[in-house]
Amino acid sequence: MIQPLVSLKNVTQSYSGRTVLSVDALDVMPGAILGLAGPNGSGKSTMLRLIAFLEAPASGEILFRGRPASIRPGAAHRDVTLLVQEPYLLKRTVFANIAYGLKVRGKNDIPAKVRRAMELVGLAPDQFARRQWFELSGGECQRVALAARLVLKPRLLLMDEPTASLDEKSSRLVREAALFARNELGAGLVTASHDMSWLRDVSDCVLHMDGGRIVGREQLS
Amino acid sequence: MDYLLQGFMQGFVLLFNGDAETYSAIWATVYASSLSMACSLLIGVPLGFLLGYTTFPGKGAVRTTVDTLLSFPTVVIGLVVYALLTRNGPLGGTGLLFTIPGVAVGQTLLGLPIIVALTANAVEGLDKRLPMTLITLGASRRQILWATVTEARFSIILAAMAAYGRIVSEIGISMMVGGNIKWHTRTITTAIALETGKGEFAMGVALGMVLLAVALAVNVAAAGMKKKAVQ
Repeated sequence: MIQPLVSLKNVTQSYSGRTVLSVDALDVMPGAILGLAGPNGSGKSTMLRLIAFLEAPASGEILFRGRPASIRPGAAHRDVTLLVQEPYLLKRTVFANIAYGLKVRGKNDIPAKVRRAMELVGLAPDQFARRQWFELSGGECQRVALAARLVLKPRLLLMDEPTASLDEKSSRLVREAALFARNELGAGLVTASHDMSWLRDVSDCVLHMDGGRIVGREQLS
Repeated sequence: MDYLLQGFMQGFVLLFNGDAETYSAIWATVYASSLSMACSLLIGVPLGFLLGYTTFPGKGAVRTTVDTLLSFPTVVIGLVVYALLTRNGPLGGTGLLFTIPGVAVGQTLLGLPIIVALTANAVEGLDKRLPMTLITLGASRRQILWATVTEARFSIILAAMAAYGRIVSEIGISMMVGGNIKWHTRTITTAIALETGKGEFAMGVALGMVLLAVALAVNVAAAGMKKKAVQ
């Protein structure tokens, strides 16, 4: 039996006494692409932050590969990574931004890995590698941030509105990169988006959320 | 106006003829300010980082105290350090009074609040998404702290430049703790005060120009560091 990457059991999250998320049970499996759909405030981003172990739930349990994981920087954060809607780039070059996660892991052969990740997201290495963070457009920032996460070969890649600030071509590149992460790296993916056609195009299954609850499940392939 | 022009010319003469007394004052100035800047940065950057990064009871009071110390008069610092280092003072046994390291102690007290306050401001002003980004990229707590300092590096360089500007141009500490001893603790600022007191305005202007040149050299070096930091 395949072990889920992340399991949520009776998880709730509250801010200032108001419950914003309530999930009875959810498993994220390796190699699966799970889409999250729903209006603003439906709990998509909260769910992603919980699965990314960035915040602890108010109640319930979140397991990473069968074991409880801490929100303190640790092992789970080396396997699970989150791309937010407006990602922050370090005040460094594109190369240094993408290489950062590899460096903190003490990896070798960094230039070749960075180059490959840049190509995956459609950024020509010779053209972009030496560019500074302030020399990029919003869409280019998004793609650099995605490359910085793909290069880590995560077990689970979480994306919050990854195409919100992108044009059609860039959205297609993000889709291809997401599929690459699943097909070539074997990563599981959870992605939240308002773009239903993009979400259906990329996901195996779409969860419909409203008022912090999962109100529907759409199996796509 | 003549003495200004004369001073300008004399400044070049003193510098290019290698005047020993002038270079002794330049050396004393650069030595004391370098020593005090190194101490201010080594102590001030970690303290400023802690102040900006962490939350603790009484943080507001600490911030107010540090901000008040920004306008600490140099003669008062000179007086306090003199009282500490004088033979009968609690640190009299160190033998630092009327020495360049003694001056550096006072100048460190002058530069420290600037480094602490501006570093704390820089860290507090960092983008709120930074910690989350670093965690999601797999950084450990130590790596997160280091990356946070690195992200604030431009502001820390600016803090260092501001502190250097105050340190290199102070006179109260150098005069009281250093004693303005020729060939020994006479800095450019104490030399200017002495020459002006003697009515040697041209010499004072010349030394003032030298001080400006030293400040310019430091700022050019800092700009170079900033450029390198961007790359």
